[in-house]
Amino acid sequence: MSEPFWNMMGMLGIYAPLALGAIGSIMGCSAAGQAACGAMLDVESGYGRLVGLSALPSSQTIYGIVVMLSLNRTIAIDSAPGLFAIGVLCGAALLFSGWYQGLCCASAIHATKSKPEVFGLSAAPAAIVEGFAVFAFIFALILAGSLPAAPVAS
Amino acid sequence: MTSYYTLVASLPPLPQPFDSGPLPITRSTLRSRLDLLDDDDRMVVDQISRFFVWDRQPLDRTDEEVWQTHQRLMEQIDNPLVRQVVNHRFDMRTIVAAIRRKRDQEGPPIGVPPLAGMIRRNWDAPDFNLSTRYRWIGPFAEAAAAGKVVQAQHILFTDLWNTWTRIAQQYHFTFESILLYLARWEIVERWTSRDADAGRERFNDLIRETLGEYAELD
Repeated sequence: MSEPFWNMMGMLGIYAPLALGAIGSIMGCSAAGQAACGAMLDVESGYGRLVGLSALPSSQTIYGIVVMLSLNRTIAIDSAPGLFAIGVLCGAALLFSGWYQGLCCASAIHATKSKPEVFGLSAAPAAIVEGFAVFAFIFALILAGSLPAAPVAS
Repeated sequence: MTSYYTLVASLPPLPQPFDSGPLPITRSTLRSRLDLLDDDDRMVVDQISRFFVWDRQPLDRTDEEVWQTHQRLMEQIDNPLVRQVVNHRFDMRTIVAAIRRKRDQEGPPIGVPPLAGMIRRNWDAPDFNLSTRYRWIGPFAEAAAAGKVVQAQHILFTDLWNTWTRIAQQYHFTFESILLYLARWEIVERWTSRDADAGRERFNDLIRETLGEYAELD
């Protein structure tokens, strides 16, 4: 494989956590946000916590930024496959966690609207999904540290 | 598949069970909320709404009319869930008609296939050999025979309510969940309007008892 190809794969790996994490956040916040807007039509108070709950899936973008910064380095042919694998897989995990966390949040908003006393408990599934995103994030950082460094130019 | 997060979240919870509370949303407010649907889905909602209006009419239609209506609806309706809702209601009507005809010592109804054929074949059995599938037949027939109209209606509504609630658990924020909400809202609406009619009658009786002959004066 040629050097430009590996450069491209390396750059994909570096940027994928942010791009895919942002896509997950967009999908999740959109679903939960729409549910929050609908619930506001039916309740007389507690709007703030509905909006707060709908913003939970934004954390995936933050994790994506941190992973991207930790992967960001001069791309060498030795490190490019590792960068690609870690970045894309971590990004995919962040995308799905953001998306499905949004669905959990939408359901939590729907449940909270009818039964305000279950607010904390109904957010638990969303928190569990967040936990898996944190796993993907932490271990991406650990593995990023074990990637071979680019050779120093003489 | 279109998701309706805003619309589903904007619909208030229905009383559980259906006879335990007032109607949580009026027809006009519900109509305005349904404006959030896209055009194709709104057309399906109109179809099911028209069917509900037809279904509320008295049961004194001829078998031929009922059969023709079923044929027409099956040609018009594509949505599988709406077809299921309509077929379930027609099955119920067919069984209710069969119980009534049997009580009046008439022949089996024409009804809607395949249920009508099964009823004809098992006409001599007290429950038409259908009570394993339709558990409400026994209690309904008893209530109907005893002339307990309200109780009989409650049995039918309970079966419908449980069926739609069970199916609704499979859907979240989709068009199907809205259809099933409408189907259950219709049950609550019919039940509470029955209460309203009974309440109005009771109020009129009280007025008559209190005011005597003056109650009739303008």
